[in-house]
Amino acid sequence: MANECKIGVFLCECGRRIAPLVDLKDLAAKLEADPLIDYVAIEPYSCMAPGLAAIAAAIEDKGLDRVIVAGCEARLMLGKFQEELAPAGLEEGQIDIVNLRGHVARVSGLSPEENAAKGFKLIKAAAAGLEVLIPTVREPVQFEGPVMVLGGGIATYSAAQELSRREIDCIIAVTTDEWEDEIRMLHEHYPGERHYYDRMEAIMREVDESPYVRRITVGELTSVFGRTGEYHVTFSDPMGGPPRIYEASAIIAALDGQMLNQGSNFGHDGRNVICHTEAEEMLWTLGVPDGKVVFWINDYEAGHPEYCYLASRSAWSMARYMREHSPLTQVTILYNHQMSVPLSAGERALSRKLDIDWVPYDGALRPTVQAGFVTYCDPEDHTEQEMPWDRLILSPRRSVGHESTKVAHVLGLEHVEGHFLEPHKQRVRPEMVGRAEALLAGSARYPCDLHEALRQGRRAAIKTAELVDKAETGELYAPRMVCTVDQDKCIGCGLCKEICDCGGIEPVEGPGGNIPRHVDPMTCTGGGTCAAACPYHALTLQNNTSAQREARVAVLSRELGEDEVLAFGCAWGGLAAADNAGAKGLAYDPRLYMLRVGCIGQLDPSVLARAFLEGANSLLLIGCPPEDCHHSYGLDHTWSRVNLIKKLLGLCGFDRRRIALAHADLNRPEDYIRTVESFAERMAELGPIERTEENLEKLAGLYATVNASRVRWVLGATLRRPWEEVYPGNQRNALAFDRDMMGVVSEEFIKARVSNLLKDTQRPYQLHELAQALNEDEKPLMDSVREMVGEGLIGRMHKDGKAHYVLRA
Amino acid sequence: MLNLTIDGKKVEAEPGWTLLDTARQNGIEIPTLCYHEAVEPFGACRLCVVEVKIGAGSRLMASCVYPAEEGLEVQTKSERVMNVRRWILEMLLSECPASAEVRELAAEYGVTSTRFEVKNPEQECILCGLCVRACAQVVGAKAISTVGRGAGKQIGAPYLVPGEDCIACGSCVTVCPTGAMRERFYKVRGVPPVVMARSSK
Repeated sequence: MANECKIGVFLCECGRRIAPLVDLKDLAAKLEADPLIDYVAIEPYSCMAPGLAAIAAAIEDKGLDRVIVAGCEARLMLGKFQEELAPAGLEEGQIDIVNLRGHVARVSGLSPEENAAKGFKLIKAAAAGLEVLIPTVREPVQFEGPVMVLGGGIATYSAAQELSRREIDCIIAVTTDEWEDEIRMLHEHYPGERHYYDRMEAIMREVDESPYVRRITVGELTSVFGRTGEYHVTFSDPMGGPPRIYEASAIIAALDGQMLNQGSNFGHDGRNVICHTEAEEMLWTLGVPDGKVVFWINDYEAGHPEYCYLASRSAWSMARYMREHSPLTQVTILYNHQMSVPLSAGERALSRKLDIDWVPYDGALRPTVQAGFVTYCDPEDHTEQEMPWDRLILSPRRSVGHESTKVAHVLGLEHVEGHFLEPHKQRVRPEMVGRAEALLAGSARYPCDLHEALRQGRRAAIKTAELVDKAETGELYAPRMVCTVDQDKCIGCGLCKEICDCGGIEPVEGPGGNIPRHVDPMTCTGGGTCAAACPYHALTLQNNTSAQREARVAVLSRELGEDEVLAFGCAWGGLAAADNAGAKGLAYDPRLYMLRVGCIGQLDPSVLARAFLEGANSLLLIGCPPEDCHHSYGLDHTWSRVNLIKKLLGLCGFDRRRIALAHADLNRPEDYIRTVESFAERMAELGPIERTEENLEKLAGLYATVNASRVRWVLGATLRRPWEEVYPGNQRNALAFDRDMMGVVSEEFIKARVSNLLKDTQRPYQLHELAQALNEDEKPLMDSVREMVGEGLIGRMHKDGKAHYVLRA
Repeated sequence: MLNLTIDGKKVEAEPGWTLLDTARQNGIEIPTLCYHEAVEPFGACRLCVVEVKIGAGSRLMASCVYPAEEGLEVQTKSERVMNVRRWILEMLLSECPASAEVRELAAEYGVTSTRFEVKNPEQECILCGLCVRACAQVVGAKAISTVGRGAGKQIGAPYLVPGEDCIACGSCVTVCPTGAMRERFYKVRGVPPVVMARSSK
C-alpha cells in the first residue's frame, strides 16, 4: 500500500565523528539512485541551527513530507527535530533518525566504503517504514460536561473547592444527604482532627453554597465508561431505584482508607481498651472521661512503625482536647523510644502547660497490657515499670478498606492485597509522572492525616483544571503514537483489555453487550503489545504501525548478507545499550543491523515472520532487563511470540535458534556486546537458510500461520497478564499446554500451506497430489483438509469419482 | 545575513546563530564537553572559548553561547585560546582524573599531567550539568539536579535519595561527556520496586 510521499535524507558529518569514518559522498550517491528517496543532502551538523534551517528550507523547496536524519541517537535528538521542524509541517512519526554515528561509524571498525554500505541498508529500511506511514490528523481532546469527584472521601471537598474557585463545574458524589453528617463521621477515617473541624466546616459550607458544585447522593459506583473528556459514570440508587448515569469530562477519585480496631490484640476490648476511632466516638457521645487515660503508640508492636507519626499526632490532638475540656483527666502518652516526639517547640510548651506526660519505653522489650496496668521497660535505667490506666487507647490498624477497594476496582486501579492503592506504574511519557495524583486523592493512597488528604484533593483538582482549561482553549491534543481500534474488525473479545497495562482500553456500551472497544488516547502509553496481540488486527498503533515495521523488516531483510543479523532493540534496553556502546566508541561485530522500536512488545509475530520470509537468516530481539519493562510485560509477551516463531521454524525444518530474545541493561554496553557477538557467531556457524523453492513455500506458510486468528488466539491466551505474579507462573500443566499449542500451530501451518498452494496454482488438487506438493504424509494432511472443508476455507468437488480440493470462490 | 570572520575565513551567519553554530557549519571544529545539541547551551566547561576582537583588544568568549554579530573577528586557534584551553584541561585533569574521555581530550592538546592538587583520584564528573539539562529538557522528568554548593556540589537525585521521578531512560548516561553518569545512574534511579503479588483487576 504505497503512499504518496516525498522522503528527504540528511546525512550528518558530525565533525570528526562521522565524516571520516563513513564515505558520505558514496552513501549519498547510492541513496540518490534509490527510487524511494527524493532528496539527499550532507550537512555538517543537521541538529544545529544552520543545519535545521537547511532542512526546513529543503522541506519547503522540494515539498518533502518525510525526513530521515542519519546522525546520532534518536532517543535524544528526535524531540528536538520534532519541535524545530513542526513549523515546517512535519509531525511526530514523520521524522526518523538512523544512528549512523553510534551504530555504524564508531563501532563497526569497517572501512568508510563498507560503513556507507551498512548505513545505506539502515537508511533504506527507515525510508520503507516512512513510506507506508499514514499520518493521522492531530485531533484536539474535548472536555464535555462537569468534572466528577467520586468515592466519597474527604478530599472531595478540597477538590470541589478548588474547582469552584476556578469556576469549573463539578459534581460531587457522596453517600450522605447533608454535609453536616460528614463532619460527624469524619473521625472514622481521620481521628484526632477535632481542631480542624471549624476549618473543614468552612470548606464544606463554601462548597455547598457554590453555584459550580452539584451535590448528588448516590449508592455504589457500578461502572465508568468512556475516555478522558467524556465519561459515563453509573451509580446504583441508594433507595434501590434504577441506576443513575451521569456524564463527566474528568474523574477525580477521593478515597479514604479504613481504620480498624486492634481486634483482640493488645488487650483491646472495645470498652476500656479502645482505639483512636473509638476514643473519638466516646468523646462525641460520652464526653471526656475522668481518671487516668493512657495513649499507647503501639505501631511498632503492630508491625507498622511507619505509622507511628500519624498515630502520635492524633493521640496528641486528642490528649490536648481532653486536658483543655476536663481538668480531672490525667493524660499520658506512652511511646517507643526509637521514634521522636512529633511536636513543634510551641506544641511542646503547650504540652507541658497542659501537663500531658510523654513517657518513652524501650522498644526491645514489648509492653504488656494487664488489668489496670501496662508494663514497660524504662529506656533510661532499664528497669521494668508499671503504668496504671483507667482507659487505654491504642493505635488503629490502617488499610484501604472494602468500599475504596470496590471503587478502585471499577476505576481499574492496581491493588495489591495488603498494600495501599497504587496508581498506574507506567513511566513512559514524563507528563505522566504525577498524573496518578490527578486521579486519586485521600488516605487510601497511603495513610495520611486530614491536612495531607485535603492537599491531595486540591492538587488533583489543580491538575484536572489545567487539562480542562487547555481543552477549553483547544490546545489539548492527544498524543500521536497511541492505539486505535478499527471498529469494523473488533469483535469485542477483550483480549487487549486483559493484557493492557495502562488502562487505556475501554468497552463501548452498546446493544448486545459492551462491544466494540475503543482506546483513551490520553491514557494510552503507546506500548503496543495489545496491537501486536489482537487476533484480528483490529488494533493499530497510530503513526507507528505494524505495517511500518513490516516494511522496514522486509526491505532490510532483502538487503542483508548471508551472515548478517537483523536485530530489534527497544528504546529502554537494547537500543539504549547500543547507543551507549556507540557513545563510548566500543567496537563490536559489524554484522548486526539494529532497528528501533519503542517497546519490544510492539513486535507483531507477523513482523518476525516477515523477516525470515524476505531473506533474513537470523533475528535477535533485545529488550529491557527482566522485570524492568517500561510497558509492564512487553518482554514477556515477546517471549511468547518468539516461542511461536521457534515452533514454526522447527516445523519448517530450520534451526530453532535462528530467533532469540535477549535483554540488555542500557548501562552495561559491554554485556550487550557480548550478547550480540555470541549470537552473530552462532548464526555464522549455522549458515544461511537455503532459499530453495520448497523452503520458500514453507516460509510463506510460516508467515500465513502467524496471521491466522486461531494461532493468534492461542498465543493471546498465553501472554502474561498485568496481575500475574511471575511468568510463566507455577508452570502448571506446562507440558500439556505446550503440546496443545504445538498441535494448534502445526494444524494451522498445514492449513496455511494448503491455502497458499491452492491460491498460487489456481487448480484443483487430489489428496495425494497435495501431499506430494507439500512433501507431507497423507494421513495427517487428510485430517487437516477435511477440517478446512468443514470450516469452509476450501471447497471439495468430485470429478471421476475422486475428491478434488479447490479454492472456494 | 551577518558577515563575520572566523580564523581569517569570511563566513555568513543568520541572526540567532551562535559562534559555535557558525564555526561548525563552516567546517571549523571547536572542542566542547558540556555542549549537546539536544539541550540549550550552558557555557559551563569553557572549553569552547574563542578570542573575539573588540576594539583594539580582544576578549575570550564561550562560543557555544556567544551570538554571531556583524563584522565580528573571531580566532578559534590563536595562541591565547590554546593556552587557556590547556589551562582548563589541566584543571579538569585535577578535578576528574578518572575520566578516560577527559584524559584523551587533554592528550590531544598535549596535556598529560596536572600541576593542581588531585583531591579525588576516583572522580569522573566535571559538574557540567549536561545530564541535569538533558533530564529536564529532553526527557522532562527532572529527576536529577546539582546537590550542594561550591566545593561540595555534586550531581544526584534531590537530597541524594533515589527518587520516584526517574523513568530510567538512560539519557543522562548517553549524554555524559566523561562517563561519570554510569555509576551515578543507579543512585538516581534507585532499585525498581518488586511487586510481590497482584490481585486480579
